[in-house]
Amino acid sequence: MSTLGRILLVEDDPKDVELTLTALEEYNLANEVVVARDGEEALDYLYRRGSFTTRANGNPAVLLLDLKLPKVDGLEVLEQIKSDEKLRMVPVVVLTSSHEERDMVASYRLGVNAYVVKPVDFHEFVNAIRELGIFWGIINQPPPGSIKTH
Amino acid sequence: MNQVSIEARQATVQRKPRLPKPSSTIQCYGLAVLSVSVALGGALFLQRFDFRDVEVPLFLFAVAVAAWYGGPGAAVLALLLSCVSFDYFFVEPFHTLYISRSDLPYFIVFASFASLVTWFSAVRRRVEGELRQARDELEIEVAERTQQASLLNLTHDTIFVRDMNDVITYWNRGAQELYGWTAEEAIGKRADDLLQSVLPAPIEEIRAELLRSERWDGELQKTRADGSQVVVASRWSLRRDEQGRPAAILETNNDITERERRQQEVRTLNEELGKRTAELEVINKELEAFAYSISHDLRAPLRHMAGFTELLQKNTASLLNEKNQRYVRMILESAQRMGSLIDDLLAFSRIGRAETHKTMVSLDQLVEEVVTEARQDTDGRNIVWKVGSLPAWYGDRSMLRLVLVNLISNAVKFTRTRSQAEIEIGCMNQEQDQVVVFIRDNGVGFDMKYVNKLFGVFQRLHAPEAFEGTGIGLATVQRIVHRHGGRAWAEGLVDKGATFYFSLSKSQGV
Repeated sequence: MSTLGRILLVEDDPKDVELTLTALEEYNLANEVVVARDGEEALDYLYRRGSFTTRANGNPAVLLLDLKLPKVDGLEVLEQIKSDEKLRMVPVVVLTSSHEERDMVASYRLGVNAYVVKPVDFHEFVNAIRELGIFWGIINQPPPGSIKTH
Repeated sequence: MNQVSIEARQATVQRKPRLPKPSSTIQCYGLAVLSVSVALGGALFLQRFDFRDVEVPLFLFAVAVAAWYGGPGAAVLALLLSCVSFDYFFVEPFHTLYISRSDLPYFIVFASFASLVTWFSAVRRRVEGELRQARDELEIEVAERTQQASLLNLTHDTIFVRDMNDVITYWNRGAQELYGWTAEEAIGKRADDLLQSVLPAPIEEIRAELLRSERWDGELQKTRADGSQVVVASRWSLRRDEQGRPAAILETNNDITERERRQQEVRTLNEELGKRTAELEVINKELEAFAYSISHDLRAPLRHMAGFTELLQKNTASLLNEKNQRYVRMILESAQRMGSLIDDLLAFSRIGRAETHKTMVSLDQLVEEVVTEARQDTDGRNIVWKVGSLPAWYGDRSMLRLVLVNLISNAVKFTRTRSQAEIEIGCMNQEQDQVVVFIRDNGVGFDMKYVNKLFGVFQRLHAPEAFEGTGIGLATVQRIVHRHGGRAWAEGLVDKGATFYFSLSKSQGV
């Protein structure tokens, strides 16, 4: 493993956060994960506002974004990112419970980079998370300005 | 037009016989001679009884008769004969044709008077001839008019005429049939008293329009003799007299009560339909929100249950005895089953809500695709596939694919216990507007007494440990087939296989 990109996990459900982190830990992918509990917090992180004012410069290598979020929902976050000149290059992966076609269509219309439905089966879930982590955190070359640790 | 219910008459008028007119010249002059002779005979006869001075009126009468019946020639002859007879028999000297000077004025007066009678007679005759001709022409015209009027009686349309005081002057059979009054009853009455027309606009406006354009049409409500209401499409035409003054209004009516009623019905039904549609839309929205929330909110806790149980299982593998490990496995299995039930239910609900995108679909190709997939999943099993030829049909490709996937995977599943499975796919009864596709297997079959339960949601005829499944596949098949204007049914025998049919209609479907 040469580098590990920073993953911003936007997820309101603590159980989902825990399961996701557990899945990533199994493959040592959890070290560079930052968790935002709602859309506003995610945007605060990206814009270095609020509690993230002091964080180091740079964008995450990937955003794992849930759709159903308090305050600012996933689609709004996505729309904001993709309409911002400085953020639009950040890869966004929607990670959701929703099978609904309209959510998927809306996400792709806004320019999402991938759309993943969380499998109910834990093995499948772990596999999905692991593959996402490996692909976006390691294999994929993130756009310039992304945070990577050696 | 004043004549009502005129009997149809022959167009050619029977001319009344004219006054007997002697046809030949000889008869004319013979008549002159005869009349003078009769007058002479009468005069001589009366002279015998000492009646005096009767001869002149008698001769004048003879001349008049000759003039009347024989014409001018006969009149002149009668005049001459009268003069000679008078001179010979009644003027002294008798029995000579001598005329004394003193008698000459008498003869001249007589001749003049007779000429006058002849002339009057001729004039009268000519006038009478002209009158007769005029009458004949009039009769011909009356006959023609009568015939035309009788033609108006033949039409089914209601036609009547009223004068400018609204008094009915003509009333055809159609009017009698529509309104119930006979012509005799209707004529002479005021139309408004009889029909109680309800006009779509003030009468002044209608009158103004009629006077301006000589026409008006509109829909009116009128009352029949029995008091019932009738809606008519009415056309009015204005007739003017020779001086150009409005004289009468011809009104043609067509009964549109039934049409009007149907239109009203259609309007009511449409309103009803609009309301229903709106209601259904609301319900559909609610269902959609419901399905959406199931999709999001029910799956999450399920995933957590499965996930944490899995972690528990992994972390406690060495601590738990066999029995407790089985409990954990059962929790996991239940969570997974719940997950597939939710997924299937959502898919089923989506089929009901999704719009169909219909195109021409090659059923041959679709079956081939599905069978190829099924073969990949059944490696190691001995399955004989018989696939017949299928037509191309108009439908939603992905939905029809789902139908075939469900039925073919069922056939594969329920033949699992057979050493050699046979699955046949084909079509029958291919008609102009309907095709029936069947999938037949030699599997475990089913009891026909449960056939009605086959297509219900979550209905299963087999124990889950024997054949897995959520029991939503056939319900999905039925829903899709219904949306294609067709139906689904099945035949089976326990342990003797089953055949599933579905029909697709060309014209129908949502």
